[in-house]
Amino acid sequence: MAENLLEVRNISVTFKTRYGILKALDNLSLNVKKGEILGLVGESGAGKSMTGAAILGLIDAPGQLSSGEIFYKDECISDAPEAVRGHEISMIFQDPLMSLNPLRKIGDQLVETILTHMNISKSEAIKKAKNGLKEVGIDPSRLNSYPHTFSGGMRQRVVIALALAPEPSLIIADEPTTALDVSVQAQILDLLKKLCKERGTSIILVTHDMGVIAETTDRVGVLYAGRLAEIGNTREVLTDPKHPYTRGLVESTPRIDSNSFKKSLFQIPGSMPKLDAMPSGCAFHPRCAFASDICTKKIPPILHKRAACWLLENGEL
Amino acid sequence: MLVIIFRRLGQSVLVLFLVALISFLIFRYVGNPVDNLMGQEATLAQRAALEEALGLNDPFYKQYFSFVWNALNFDFGNSYRGALPVSDLIASRLPATIELALTSAIFALFFGVITGIYTAIRRGGYLANIILSTSLIGVSLPTFLIGVLLIWLFAVELKWLPSFGRGDVVQLGWWSTGFLTLSGIKSLILPSITLGLYQLTLIMRLTRSEMLEVMRQDYVRFAKALGLSSKQVNYKHALPNTLVPVVTIAGLQLGSIVAFAIVTETVFQWPGVGLLFINAVYFVDIPVMSAYLLLVGVLFVIINLFVDLLYLAIDPRLRDSNSSE
Repeated sequence: MAENLLEVRNISVTFKTRYGILKALDNLSLNVKKGEILGLVGESGAGKSMTGAAILGLIDAPGQLSSGEIFYKDECISDAPEAVRGHEISMIFQDPLMSLNPLRKIGDQLVETILTHMNISKSEAIKKAKNGLKEVGIDPSRLNSYPHTFSGGMRQRVVIALALAPEPSLIIADEPTTALDVSVQAQILDLLKKLCKERGTSIILVTHDMGVIAETTDRVGVLYAGRLAEIGNTREVLTDPKHPYTRGLVESTPRIDSNSFKKSLFQIPGSMPKLDAMPSGCAFHPRCAFASDICTKKIPPILHKRAACWLLENGEL
Repeated sequence: MLVIIFRRLGQSVLVLFLVALISFLIFRYVGNPVDNLMGQEATLAQRAALEEALGLNDPFYKQYFSFVWNALNFDFGNSYRGALPVSDLIASRLPATIELALTSAIFALFFGVITGIYTAIRRGGYLANIILSTSLIGVSLPTFLIGVLLIWLFAVELKWLPSFGRGDVVQLGWWSTGFLTLSGIKSLILPSITLGLYQLTLIMRLTRSEMLEVMRQDYVRFAKALGLSSKQVNYKHALPNTLVPVVTIAGLQLGSIVAFAIVTETVFQWPGVGLLFINAVYFVDIPVMSAYLLLVGVLFVIINLFVDLLYLAIDPRLRDSNSSE
């Protein structure tokens, strides 16, 4: 298992509320290999972002990691995630307009981050900051500019420079392009991919965009209602989905081929259950066309290291 | 930058003219100055002569401008009581009020911001909850009651601090200060706490809620994700963003501390302009009242101007958006 940079083992995240305990993540396991890009996809509220936050211990109260362990480079980090933040694992957030401190020059923020993690002089840190900006395609002379003087796309570039500055081995990118113009999205993704490949940095890419998953990731995990529905090589999962939910997702994505223009897009009937009204057994069974008796009674485990669906037990899919 | 400052200055002057107008209206039309000055025995001829001498027969705008002109020369006429120039009266009382207001403002700001930050960072903690519930008392008790309670406890029962007056003062030119003598400082403590307690709780609650709000922002989460220490995150990222609204409110509160020092000054018989004003109201001493109104107006405007400029210093976004207009 040494090739695994990160191993998430059976984690659950719970929220204590007045109405009882809600499980935002339920017994989730996944791993990230060195240098690979793992996609996490799912609907809003499926737990994609929560997974990223859980790894770095950034879950806001009253939420908490209630069970499970997270191993990074074979060491358990779930008790003290602060120790790996930045120089081992760093994170990029969805909204670049909100990710930078509006009152401080981007140079100050870069230099501060570099000095926190590296034992170098201030002038060296400034040099590094300039280099970092150059790499993400921003004129290094803008070191003394405030965030509000940048456009959204440029700010996300600054954010990427910041996230890469402490030279982490893993970056969790939480919908890094969702808030950007479509024309800028591809640029930012390509940039992130290129820079990480050069450094051998792994990425966990959280998104709800199947197109982004197909273009960018090596492997993909599909989340549904806080549980992992399917995980595997991106190409295999997209061309031959094993879980009915994944299949629904793939079929509801528009594609450019001969006859699909004429048909209207597929829709998965119903909507994802709320956390306080989780169905018994498989969380997807009320919406599933293949649901049988066992689906309503027992939560399916991940079968054949691929999908959490009872159909796989009989090999029916 | 300069353009903004000049524009703000221009606005301030406009506001001051309006305040002067209201102050003038009180001066001129509340009661009849001639009645107040001459008493009932005066003959009609005498009254007419005085009216002419005071310029009361001049057109309205002329009277207003001569009022403003006199005010600019610190000439607010004579007090009806004792016939002293109002400007002298105020000048002799002003240091007491300013020292009291400044002390309680610093007290409120210092402890307000510190407890605000503490209760935000240690949200739900034992001490934080105690501070929060205690602060409710500060918000809900009226100033005079707090003053009386403090007097009862520290002056009457414990006999630690004096219950009234300024103690010994030292004269520095026309400014009399209580900061330089022990009795002066001791006398300052109770009134300052009384005057500042409400502002303290207000600033604390504001700082706390702003800080909590800011700590939920992505840039704070991002700073955490980048591995910055919680000290760096709290004090270099969260705190400055918290202070923008706090500065505004604190500035406005400083104005009201001066304006509402009246109650505290009455309770502690503090020889400041507030007490002067209350006594002026008892005796319908119109010139003193209108001069006081003008003084408070000027203070508010100056403080607001200062807060605006401070705002520009803190927030780079405002600097740019204003200069590009």
